Parts: sequence; structure tokens; C-alpha cells
Amino acid sequence: MLRRRVSWDVTNSLAMDDVHPSSDSIEEEATTKCYSDGFDDNEDPFFLSDDDFVGGDDGAADALLEDIKEDEIDLLKHKQQDYKILNTAEIRQRMERDVAEVSTVLSISKDEASILLRNYNWSVSKVNDSWFTDEFEVREKVGLEKLVVSSDLSSNKRKIITCGICFEPYTSDRIRYAYCGHLYCEICWSAYISTSINNDGTGCLMLRCPEPSCRAAIGQYMIDSLASEEDRKKYSDFLVRSYVEDNRTTKWCPSPACEHAIEFSGADGIFDVTCRCFTSFCWNCKEECHRPMDCDAVKKWILKNSSESENVNYILAYCKPCPNCKRPIEKNHGCMHMTCRVCRNEFCWLCLGPWKGHANCNRYMEKTDTEDRRKKLAKESLEKYTHYFERWDANRKSRLKALADHQRVKNEEFKKLSESQDIPEAYLEFITKAWLQVVECRRALEWSYAYGYYLPDKDPAKKQFFEYLQGEAESTLEKLHNCVESELKEFLDVGGLSKKFSEFRTKLVGLTTVTGNYFEKLVRALENGLCDVNSHVIKGSEDEVEDRWHCDRCTYANPSSLKSCKMCFIK
Amino acid sequence: MQASRARLFKEYKEVQREKVADPDIQLVCDDSNIFKWTALIKGPSETPFEGGVFQLVFSVPEQYPLQPPQVRFLTKIFHPNVHFKTGEICLDILKNAWSPAWTLQSVCRAIIALMAHPEPDSPLNCDSGNLLRSGDIRGYQSMARMYTRLAASPMKG
Repeated sequence: MLRRRVSWDVTNSLAMDDVHPSSDSIEEEATTKCYSDGFDDNEDPFFLSDDDFVGGDDGAADALLEDIKEDEIDLLKHKQQDYKILNTAEIRQRMERDVAEVSTVLSISKDEASILLRNYNWSVSKVNDSWFTDEFEVREKVGLEKLVVSSDLSSNKRKIITCGICFEPYTSDRIRYAYCGHLYCEICWSAYISTSINNDGTGCLMLRCPEPSCRAAIGQYMIDSLASEEDRKKYSDFLVRSYVEDNRTTKWCPSPACEHAIEFSGADGIFDVTCRCFTSFCWNCKEECHRPMDCDAVKKWILKNSSESENVNYILAYCKPCPNCKRPIEKNHGCMHMTCRVCRNEFCWLCLGPWKGHANCNRYMEKTDTEDRRKKLAKESLEKYTHYFERWDANRKSRLKALADHQRVKNEEFKKLSESQDIPEAYLEFITKAWLQVVECRRALEWSYAYGYYLPDKDPAKKQFFEYLQGEAESTLEKLHNCVESELKEFLDVGGLSKKFSEFRTKLVGLTTVTGNYFEKLVRALENGLCDVNSHVIKGSEDEVEDRWHCDRCTYANPSSLKSCKMCFIK
Repeated sequence: MQASRARLFKEYKEVQREKVADPDIQLVCDDSNIFKWTALIKGPSETPFEGGVFQLVFSVPEQYPLQPPQVRFLTKIFHPNVHFKTGEICLDILKNAWSPAWTLQSVCRAIIALMAHPEPDSPLNCDSGNLLRSGDIRGYQSMARMYTRLAASPMKG
């Protein structure tokens, strides 16, 4: 799962125009090498070493799998600079570490330290500051005032004492008290504690002495020595909850079944985290990941969608007529390349233009008819919103579909594929990588459309640059998505060893890398507020950016002055 | 014996002993059911309830004293924190601030204190609360006194 970061990092230093030559050379290098035509010793940076698979050696495959795992662990370490994923045991460890620290520094018992931390949102520094400012005030506030119990209670074990709750007489060894020294019998104490644990939720962590006028806190020691096993477990779970929820540096993973918490320490404004359950979310606002948008803009966008969704839904409906035969068509695949079942017309789902020669349709075209100005503006504002919302929504659905497809292929088809192509399943990792790249890029693309909606019209240079980057990224993504969705399907459907499979692998891996590079560039540019645009405008005239044509083969944007592609020399 | 029953039995004995000690409170247990109690309390002096005798009914839950008893006025009373029709009482110690160290006797004392110090900001009787909140002390007092006369005054002679 974490591997997708690799693909973004591999060649992100490449300048935009450099991407094509380098990716082409990779493809060339890779196509000459095929796992079925013998195995050489060349290390291919993009593929798992072919040597490991000779004769289906299980040991070698295992070793390879281990390599992959180590690789992921390395990545995890790398990512842990910004945040840590904590399971319950680790949370407990941290809690104990903090309690021990406070206990040592303030020379108090762990019980008292834990009560203090709970009252100060588990912030060690806040506890220390307040304690050293005014220990007496802090003790009074949290209910840790010094013990006032009569000394003869401990000296005389057989003294008869009446419990303050049940009013039964007990010998003093069966009487218990908190820091305040109000005396109750063990039975009443455990009933009191159990009632609180089972009725008050996390409120039981702030349990006080039963005496109405007393504010003395009940610590963990009392709970552990008086509560039932089941209640102790509940209490300790409440402590963990409190540690995560009250602490300013930790948050629960929002996935409903997940028990992990994320401790976040990054400071660079990127809040994307991925839990061990593979839920990705923005740590700051707990919405799904939304790079390159910032949290405020996301909130605004979500609000806008909820208020306008009725309207837009009406316009969009669920079907679109085929532009050729006008039959209604519902989209059931992830990529935007549609083929009408009836007339075999191929078109783009978003702009309904023919797919042949389709490069991108992300650019918003303003209508220039001379109608009533106000009417036009109102219509345009809705049209503009619809344009961006439709693309945002389509990419979102496409992302979810890709995620589901990936799971399905991985769970159901990998085994079949590995048998039919006679290769170990671990070798199919590149397909997983491609799917995850699609998911990640769909997400970025999704939010780039929301970003585009808020991009001011007044700054056409920025807008053009944005649309250029987005368009490039989108068209490579469509290629990748199509490749991993439709072309893969051919191998799944047909079965039997296919020579073409190695070609497919080469193509897919190349596309994965190239797409990753494009998106890295897009996301970075958007996060920088498209600040490169000034130099861009000064260097070349605006027209030059606009008057480019995209090569069908390699997607390179050629200046209109050239008739054949600068990169692959066709047309 | 059930913990609640044992505790109520203790309270019963305590009440018998203390009867003389607190002349303002007269707690009586139902003859056949130790979970049903009634109390007669005297309206505190220097309040519009002075001179009145108010009857409370207690319904004690099985989980007592871990859960608070349910108490309501049987006698009609004009007080911001008592429901005019049902006699339900809005008092923190009967809800979330309950502690098992409270007894029926001490609950009665708390209710007497509430009669002397109403909390008009969380009213069950809005009319009464509004009079106090708008500063019409005289209006509140005369209404409360009237109901004390009408409903809570024992026949003389």
C-alpha cells in the first residue's frame, strides 16, 4: 500500500519536458528484456529481479517477498518522521511512559501522576508548569489534597468502623478510603466504582469520593484493588480512550472498525496519513485525503456540494445519451473512455467528444454568446460549478471503483493469472502498484477539480498553467487506468500463457511511473499556489502554452509550429 | 439480605432515633413496603412557605443507594424548581450529583434548603421562575404564600 509513495519519488527531479524521453528510454530498455526469453543479470530498477523466479523456486520467491516487506518497513520508517500509527498496546506504553515521567519529576506516586495527567489533557509539560507554579492549588483542583485520615485506623486493625454508605459496622481492615480519608467498606466502594464505570462512560475517570462535600479523586490503585476484572478492563479502555481523545497530538483513525490511533508530529502543513487499516485521511480535519486542497477550502467545497447537490444531481442525472445513437448510457467502469454497446461509438464520458484524438477536456470553456448579461452570468456560474463538480464527482466514483476493482482482482484473479502465466503471485505486485497509483491519482485529480473551481478567473496565466498541468496528468492517468482495467482484463478473460503479458507488464510499469511523476508535479505546483507561473509567462508567451498539440502516442505537448512529435517523430 | 433493603432498614432505625432531633422532618416508611416512604416537612421560616406542612413521596429503586430515590411533592407548591402539576423536583443531587452517602433524611434537608433558595434559572414551573427572574419578588412571594395557605396549612383546632 505504501509503495505508491515510491513511484512519486523515483524521478520527481525530472523537469516536465524531461519526463517523456526518460520514460521512453525505460520502455525501450524494458521491452528488450522479457521474463520468458531467458534471464539476464541486468538489474532493472523498475521490476523485481527476474532471476528470482527461475524454475518457480519457492525459496527465492519467499526471499523476494521478504525483500518487499523490508522495503515497506523502510518506507514506514521514512513516513514515521511525520506521524506514527499506534495500536492499543503502544498507546498504553506511551501512557505509562508519560505517567512514569511525571511521577519521577514531581516525586509523586504513579497513581497521583495519572490523575494529574488526566486533568491536564495528558500534557506532561502543562502538568509540570502548573505544579511548579502552585502545587497546593493544583492538588486542590484535581482532588489530591493531603491525607487527613486518623492515624489509629492503620495502627488498630480491629477497630470497628461504620461504613458511610451501608452504615454497617466493619473492622478497619475491611474499610477503604481515598486521599481524603472518608471511610467506606470494600463492598460499598466496589459497588460505587462499578456503577460509575458502567453508567458514566469516560466520566468514571474523574470519579470522586462518595462524600457529597468531598472532591478527592479516586485513582487507578483504588479501581484495581476494588473493581471486578470486567470493570477493570473497561476502566483501562476508558483510560486509553481519554489518552487518545484528550491528547492534542493523537487522533483515532476514523474508520469504524479500526482501533489504531495516529500520533502526528509533522509541521509542514501536509496532514495526509494512512492508517494500518489502509484508511487514508487528513489528520487535521479528519476528512478523506485532499491534497492539494487545504482544509478550509475542502470544508467550503463540501458545504457547497451539500447545498447545490440537488440542483446538480438533477442536471447530471445518472445517465448520458451516447453522442452518436442517443441511447442512454450508464457508466460502470472507472476510466472515462466509453464505448457504446450498441453502436460501438467511443467517446469521453466527461465531454462526450469522440475518444479518437481525445487528449483532455479539463479546460473550462466560457460561452461567448451575447445574451442577456445577467441571465448569462447566472447560468455560467452554475455551469462552471457543474463542470468542476461533475469532474470532481466522476473522479471520486472512479477512485472508489478502482479501489474495489483492485481488491477484486487481487483476491480473485491473481491466483488464476499466476497459474495461467506461469509466474509466482508475488511477481504480480506491479499490478497492485498500478492500481494503487490509479487510486492515489484519482484522489489528487478529484481534489484538483475542487481546487480549480476556486482558482480566480482574474489570473488567466495561473489558470492556464493549472489546466495545462491537470490536463497532462489527467490524460496519462486515463491511459494508465485503461491499461490496468481493460488491457489486464484481456489476460484474465483469455487464460493460457500469453507472450504479450510481458509487453503488458512493461507498458503498465512505465505508465505507473510516468503518471506518478505527472501527479507529483501537479500536486506540488498546486500546493505552491502555482508560483512558477510568473517565470513561465515571462519565458514564453501565453499563446505558446495554449497552442500546443498532444501527441497521441507519448502525450508530449508539442508546439503548434511542429508537425511531427518532437519526442517520438510520428504525424 | 439485599444491600438496598439493609441500608433502608438502617435508615429506618436511625429515623426512629432522630425523630426528636429534627422537628422539621418526619419520615415514615410504608408499613408493607420498605421501598416506599413518605415525609412531612415544615416550610422553612422567613420564606413564603413558612407555616406550611408539605408531603413528599419517595420511591426507592432496587439499586439504592447507588441510584438516587425518586422524590416528588404530593402537596401543591408554587416553587420554580417543582412541577406545579406532578410535584416533580429539579434538584442536582437527585440526578447526576447523587452520591451513595446521601440518605433519605439528608435528601429532605436538601429539599428544605431548595425551598428557601430557589434556582429560577432552571425552572420546572416557568410562571414562578419568570416572576423571580423579572425581579417581582413580591408577586412570587404572594403567589407562593397563597398556595401554602390553600394547600399546605393544617386545620387549626
